[in-house]
Amino acid sequence: MSLVSDTEVLEDASASAPPRQISVAQLVWWALILFLCLTPFVLVIAISFGQKIEGAAWEWAFTFANYERVFVGANWPEQFTVLYLQRLYYSLFYAVIAAVLAILTAFPFTYLMTRLSRRAQSIWLVFILSSLSLSEVFIVMGWDVLLSNRSGLPMVLKETGVTDWLKAVGWFDTLREWGLANPRNVKFKTSVFATVLTMAYLVWPYAVILLYPPLSRLDRSMVEAAQTMGAGPWTVMRTVVLPTMRLPLLGATLLLFVFLLGVYVAVTVFAEPAKQTMAVSVYEAIRGNTLNAPFGAAQAVVLLITASIFLAMGQWLSKRTAA
Amino acid sequence: MPGLRLAGIAKSFGSVHAVEATNLDFAEGELTALLGPSGCGKTTLLRMIAGLEAPTRGAILLGEADITAQPAHERKFGMVFQNFALFPHLSVRENVVYSLMISGIAKSDAMATGARLLDLVQLKGFDDRRIGELSGGQRQRVAIARALAQEPEVFLLDEPMSALDAKLREDMQVELRMLQQRLGITTVVVTHDQREAMTMADRIVVMSQGKVEQVGSPQQIYHQPENAFVADFIGRANFFDGVAEAAGVRIGSVLLDAAAGAGFRPGTPVSLACRPEVACLIDCTSPGTSLPAKVTFVRDVGPARDIHLETEIGRIIVEYARGETDQPFAVGQETTVTLPASGLHVFPRAERAAA
Amino acid sequence: MLRVISQGFMALSAVLLALPIVVVCGAALNAGRTMFFPPKEPTFARFYEFFVADTVWITALSHSVLIAFASAVLAVLIAWPVAYGLWARGDAGSKLLAGLGSMPFALPPIVFGVGLGFLWSFSGALGSIWAGVVSHAALFVALPIVTISIGLQSIDRAHLDAAATMGATRAVAFRTVILPQTLPYTVSGFFFALVLSFNEFIVMFFVSASSYSTVTLQIFNSLRNGYTPTMAVAAILFISVSVVVFSAIARWGDLPRLMGAEPAKT
Repeated sequence: MSLVSDTEVLEDASASAPPRQISVAQLVWWALILFLCLTPFVLVIAISFGQKIEGAAWEWAFTFANYERVFVGANWPEQFTVLYLQRLYYSLFYAVIAAVLAILTAFPFTYLMTRLSRRAQSIWLVFILSSLSLSEVFIVMGWDVLLSNRSGLPMVLKETGVTDWLKAVGWFDTLREWGLANPRNVKFKTSVFATVLTMAYLVWPYAVILLYPPLSRLDRSMVEAAQTMGAGPWTVMRTVVLPTMRLPLLGATLLLFVFLLGVYVAVTVFAEPAKQTMAVSVYEAIRGNTLNAPFGAAQAVVLLITASIFLAMGQWLSKRTAA
Repeated sequence: MPGLRLAGIAKSFGSVHAVEATNLDFAEGELTALLGPSGCGKTTLLRMIAGLEAPTRGAILLGEADITAQPAHERKFGMVFQNFALFPHLSVRENVVYSLMISGIAKSDAMATGARLLDLVQLKGFDDRRIGELSGGQRQRVAIARALAQEPEVFLLDEPMSALDAKLREDMQVELRMLQQRLGITTVVVTHDQREAMTMADRIVVMSQGKVEQVGSPQQIYHQPENAFVADFIGRANFFDGVAEAAGVRIGSVLLDAAAGAGFRPGTPVSLACRPEVACLIDCTSPGTSLPAKVTFVRDVGPARDIHLETEIGRIIVEYARGETDQPFAVGQETTVTLPASGLHVFPRAERAAA
Repeated sequence: MLRVISQGFMALSAVLLALPIVVVCGAALNAGRTMFFPPKEPTFARFYEFFVADTVWITALSHSVLIAFASAVLAVLIAWPVAYGLWARGDAGSKLLAGLGSMPFALPPIVFGVGLGFLWSFSGALGSIWAGVVSHAALFVALPIVTISIGLQSIDRAHLDAAATMGATRAVAFRTVILPQTLPYTVSGFFFALVLSFNEFIVMFFVSASSYSTVTLQIFNSLRNGYTPTMAVAAILFISVSVVVFSAIARWGDLPRLMGAEPAKT
C-alpha cells in the first residue's frame, strides 16, 4: 500500500498554510528585537575598529591596530608581545578544565537523579535551580571564605594538625611546588586550583540542567534489555548509556565552556595576577584602569568569535542528536 | 434540519490527492458512516464538512445554502474528536457549555442547558469534575454533550470509539446510535471499524484511496458488494481468480456455476468472492458447484467454527455458527464443499489489485 | 552495594553544592565586620542593618526588586509574540527572530554588557533605571521565549479545531484555549527571568554607569574592600527568593517538563 496516512496528510496541511502579509506589529517586533539584542553586538564590533584619543575618549575609525595589539602587541613588528594572547589562553584553559570537570561529576549525578520519582526529581531541581541562579558574587564570597588563608580550609587544616602531618610525610613540598602552599601553611588563594574549582562549581548546576533532558528521555527499556542479556550496571553504563549520550555530553561541555569564557569575578578573586583572563582585561579596558574602549571592544570581539564558534559547534551537534 | 450535500468535492495536498471528486448526500436525520482503511481520505472529508479544511474543488451545500466558504466557527457543526480534545483547564460543565459561553448566552441559560445535556449523556453530578479525573467512557460522553450543546445542524464524529477499550466500545456504539435516533440529528461518523459502522449507520460510505467505493445500507454493503475492495474490506471472503465463460467462471479445470458471472464477456479475467458462511459442507440446499475438499485446520472460537479446506481451486474457509450443525470436523477428513451459485460475487479482476 | 554508592554520591554532591552557600549564610551571624565561619559571637544585628538601618542596602534592594520585576514583565511581553510566531508559523523568519532574541543569553554577558553600555551612551540613557530594566529584559527574553514555546507545543491542535467547531473565532480560541493552557508556562518564564535578573550584575555594571546600584552590584563594587557579614545577609535573602520561586514553579507548574523531561503520564 502506497498510501499517505491521515495524520501525515494533516501535517502537510498545516505546513502549507496560506502565507500572510507582514503586519505592522511584526515589523515593530523585528525592530525591537534587532535593536535590543543585535545592535549591542554590532556596536562592539564597530567600535573595535575605532581608536583612542586624549584621556578616556575615542573616535570612530577603521583601523586594525586594536586587533594587532591583541594578537602581536602594540609595538609590533619591533617587539612581539603575547600578553593578551596569554589572557585568551587562560580564558580557554580555565574554561576547558572547569567545563570537563563539571560534566564528569554532573553526569553520574544527573543519571541517578532521573531514575528517581518525578516528585523527588522536582525537589532536586528546585535545589539545583536555586544554586544555578545564585549570583556569582555570592558563590565567590562563599568559596573565598572557605579557601582564604585566615578563615577557611587552610586554618582548619592547621588546627587539626593535617598541615604538620603533610610536612612530616613530605607532601607539603609537593604542594609548594604546585603553588598550593606558602612556607607556613597550605594556601589556595591565589591558585589555578581555586579558580578552576570555583568555576566548575559555578557551572555544575548548569551541567545538570543541560544533561537532564537527554538523560530523562533515555529509553529505560534499552537499559532493561541490556540487563536481560546479562549486562551489569557498569557494562550497561559503558555499552548502552554512554554511547547514546556521547553527543549530548559533548554539546553540554561546549555550552559550559562558552558560559565560562565570560566569568569575571571568580577569576579576579582566585587567579594569580599573571594568569588573568580576557574577560578581565575587557573589563579593565572599558571601565577599569586602562580606559581604552576600542581596545576593550576588540578583545570583546575576540571573545565573541571564540564563543560563537563553540556555540555553532554545539548547535551542529544538537542537530545531529535530534536527527 | 436540512440535509447536507457534497457536490464534486475534492482535496489535494500538493500532489497528493487526499479526496477525489466526491458527490454525496447526507439525508436529514440519518446517520452515515464513512468507512475505510487509514489514509483513505475519510477524515479529510469529515474535516471539510466541518469547515476545518478548505476543499480544493467542489461545493458543500446545507439545504439550499452554499456553505463552502463558511469557516468552521460559523458552521458550528458539533464535532467529537478522536481523542475527544476536551479542554483540561476547564471543568466538565465548562467544557459542555463552552460554545454557549463564547456566544454570549446568559450564564443561567447556559448552566441550565449544561445540566440538561449532562443528564442526557448520563453524567449528572459530574459538573465540577476536572477532565483528568474522568475515565475514557466518561470523557466521550462529555465530548458528545459538548458537541450537542450548540444544537448543531450536523453532528460529526471522528473515530469516536478509538480511545475506548473493546468492551466499552460496543456499549457506546449502541448508546450513541440510540441517542442520535432520539434527537433525529443528521450525523456523520468516521470509522475504520466495519462492525462499528454496521452497528450504528443507516448508510455506509466505503472509501479507499480518496475515492468512494460504494454507498448503501449496511446489509447492501455486506451482501451485495459492488467491487472486490468492498467484498474484501467488509467482512471476510474467500477470493479466487478466474476467467468468465458463458456458463459460469472457470478456475483451472473447474467451471463454477456463478449467477453473477453472466454480466461479463466470455474471456474476461475476473475475481470471485464467497462469504465463509455462504459456503456449505453439509445439507446444502441451494444449487451450486460441489468440489472435493480436505480439512486442514479447525478454529473453534466459541460462537462460531471456521473450517479451513484445501481444494483444487485453492483454500476455502467455511464458517458455521454454534447450533447450525453438530457434526464434528477433524483435520485430514475428506469432505465435499458446495459454493452456491447465488452466493458467488464476480468482479473484474484488476480492481482487487488496488486493495 | 551499588545503591549505597549511588546514594552516597548524590548526598556528597548535595553537600558540596550547599557548602559555600551554608558558609555564606552562617557568616551573616558574625558580630564583627569580618566574615568568619563558624561565626564569632552570633547575632542577628546584620539583618537589622541590611533591612532597616543601612540606607545604602535598602536603596540597592529596592533597585534590585524594581529592575527584576519590571524587566521580567517586559521580557514576557516581548517574548509572547516571538514564541507565538514560532509556534503558529514556524517559518524561517520566526526562527531567526527567536534565535536573535536568544543571542544575548547565549553569548558571554560581559560582551553584551559592553555593547549595551555603548548603546545607552549613544542614546543618552546610560545610567537611567529604565535602561537597566530594558537591558535585563533583552538579556533574559530568551527564558520566557523557551518556556512559552514549550507551553504552546503542549497544546493539542485538536483543541483549536474543537473550539472552532463550537463557534470560536481565532481571537476567541486564543483567549479561551491558548492563553489559559499556556499560563503556567508564561508564569514560569516570568519567574526565571525575575530570579536571574535579581542575581545578575555584570551587565548591570556596564549599563548603570555607577549612577545607581543593585544589591549584587553593590557587592561586586566592594569586592576589593573585602566582604562584610551584611553582604551575607543579602546572600540569605537571595537564596531564599530563589528557593521560594522555584518551589512555587514546581508546585503549580510541571518543573521536570519545563526542564525537558518527557510529559508526565496521566
